Amino acid sequence: MSIFDPILWLIALRSLLQHRVRTALLGAAVAVVTALLVSLAGIYVGMKETLLVSATTLMSGHVNVAGFYKSTQSSSAPVVTQYKQLREIVQKDVPELDYVVQRGRGWAKLISDTGSMQVGIGGIDVVNEPGFIKVVQLKSGSLEGLKRPDGLLLFEEQAKKLGVQVGDELTFSAATYKGTNNTIDVTVVAIAANIGMLSGWNTFMSDEGLRKLYQLNDETTGALQIYLKDIRQVKPVQERLRKSFAAAGFELMDADPRPFWTKFDSANRESWTGQKLDITNWEDETSFVQWFVTILTVVATTVIFVLTVIIGVGIMNVMWISIRERTREIGTLRAVGMQRTSVLAMFVTEGFLLGIIGTIIGVVTGALVSSALTSAHIVLPKGAQMVLMSEKLIVAPTLGWIVFAVVFITGSITLISLIPSLRAAQMKPVTAMSHVG
Amino acid sequence: MRTTLSFLFAVLSALPALAVEKPEMLKLLAEIDDRQRNGGDYKALVYLEQKEKDKADVVREVLVYRRDADDKLMLLFTQPKSEEGKGILRLDKNLWTYDPGTGKWDRTTERERIGGTNTRRSDFDESRLAEEYEPSFGGEAKLGKFDTLVLDLKVKDGIDVAYPILKLWIDKDNHNILKRQEFALSGKLARTSYYPKWQKLFSESKNAELWFPGEIRIFDEIETSNSTLVLMKAVDLHSLDQNLFTKAWLESKSR
Repeated sequence: MSIFDPILWLIALRSLLQHRVRTALLGAAVAVVTALLVSLAGIYVGMKETLLVSATTLMSGHVNVAGFYKSTQSSSAPVVTQYKQLREIVQKDVPELDYVVQRGRGWAKLISDTGSMQVGIGGIDVVNEPGFIKVVQLKSGSLEGLKRPDGLLLFEEQAKKLGVQVGDELTFSAATYKGTNNTIDVTVVAIAANIGMLSGWNTFMSDEGLRKLYQLNDETTGALQIYLKDIRQVKPVQERLRKSFAAAGFELMDADPRPFWTKFDSANRESWTGQKLDITNWEDETSFVQWFVTILTVVATTVIFVLTVIIGVGIMNVMWISIRERTREIGTLRAVGMQRTSVLAMFVTEGFLLGIIGTIIGVVTGALVSSALTSAHIVLPKGAQMVLMSEKLIVAPTLGWIVFAVVFITGSITLISLIPSLRAAQMKPVTAMSHVG
Repeated sequence: MRTTLSFLFAVLSALPALAVEKPEMLKLLAEIDDRQRNGGDYKALVYLEQKEKDKADVVREVLVYRRDADDKLMLLFTQPKSEEGKGILRLDKNLWTYDPGTGKWDRTTERERIGGTNTRRSDFDESRLAEEYEPSFGGEAKLGKFDTLVLDLKVKDGIDVAYPILKLWIDKDNHNILKRQEFALSGKLARTSYYPKWQKLFSESKNAELWFPGEIRIFDEIETSNSTLVLMKAVDLHSLDQNLFTKAWLESKSR
């Protein structure tokens, strides 16, 4: 009798049906754990997706060409000179390129009549940023206003903190890269919906306005942000660009997977002067928030592992009971010629059936709950927004995670059921038949 | 008749004050610089009171060391406890900040704010107005009970300063600066400082009197609710240890 024999499956199914209450309880437990795994995976995926979208909209391309320019040993400016030449190299050497934009970068104090806050500034040429236009959802105002040199885009939370709305005037105060204080008066032209925690400290103004504030010339920018058709090509493109720029005579900083603003100290401490390029990717630029994702992954994995162990122990106990109850039956089956392997297969099949039914119910429930939660557009409390990097709850399990949940939990249950099944298969027919109780 | 008088009054009012010629203005700036420059060593105990909107006032105690002959400057924070041991040291043309919490030295520009206050290195260092700025006459004005000369200063080409445009109100009688306005590159007024109390000490190394502001009241004109009060106490012109202006000395103060 092989594992594919329908009789084996029929026996396993009938056994499960015979003990309906026990099967229902165990099946429900398996379903709950599976649904939980699917939902946690959904939160993880939602978090990763929000991070990717917000990072690549607000502060990074898939790959970035940035760096530092030091006019003296002590003054590091996070700018790239000769960016037009660098852009030509990118366009020539990156066939995977979707589009490339230049972004000014700044860090300044934004002052309104009622408050102030330190914010990052992205100098944006809004006409040439299709990704930005697609992702940013305006609550009021218009992106057209960002064509004005004094136009400013804020996110809802920032506008609330500063007590401003579209049309209000504010002042940016910053030091130029030579250390001279400068200001620029700006007008709020658009207020956008928050995009995760990163939108808390990023603002956007026209590239022209940012150049005026920092006194940058036409050949200088903050970074070239490169967007690829396939994000999986990030690493090879990064490596290729390092070689291309080096071959073109540009000096490069050592590869360092950290966001650019954490590199000021090291750039300042080093004694070189001139331009050095730094090639990073979106994960490097968001590494300071990636630990949230890592923590969530560790917590979710631990929870799932513990729950699987608990369910596994429960199933093992139930199967011990089942084997004990059916010892005489095992003895009879062995006496009429059933092989040990078939007895083993019979009980393993029972475990497998219980697992597969429970996990299928679990993934369906998990997917439905995830979909309902996402559709409900639940606004998260501030603390949760920080952790989940999203203003609203997004639970988006992928097909891959659903298949993984089914295979992992059913596999674990089947493996666990092997232990009592082996014990059942080892019974001698005579002993089993004479078993009382 | 009444119309003629009004016309005459209007014409007279519109006439500029007797302009001070450029060489005189340069001489005046050089005099201001020289009065505050000490040939030898300088040590002062300074209190900085920082007021910011929605924040508790913070008072910092700082020891300022200067050796003007070698262009050396060092600041050591002694209060509050959280900032004790922090320091700023100028070595050659570099300004270094030290944080005993991390044990790290960071190189910064000379124009950066000191300890998060509205003060800058230039508020504690020797005055270099004649060296760094080009003056033009801004007229005469009454500042409270004082008669003052107003000078508009613009930074010279190729010199990097925190504020490229200054406006000074100088006491006509004793040539002390009473009010100083600093403008950002955009021309926006950024900072106004008042110098209500000037003090002097006889400097042996200079063999003349050294003037220093006993009190400076600095008002942030962009974030108007912020201000800083600087009180200079216990100025000492005796010689300092030769090895004082070193990273090792500053580090040793927090061990």
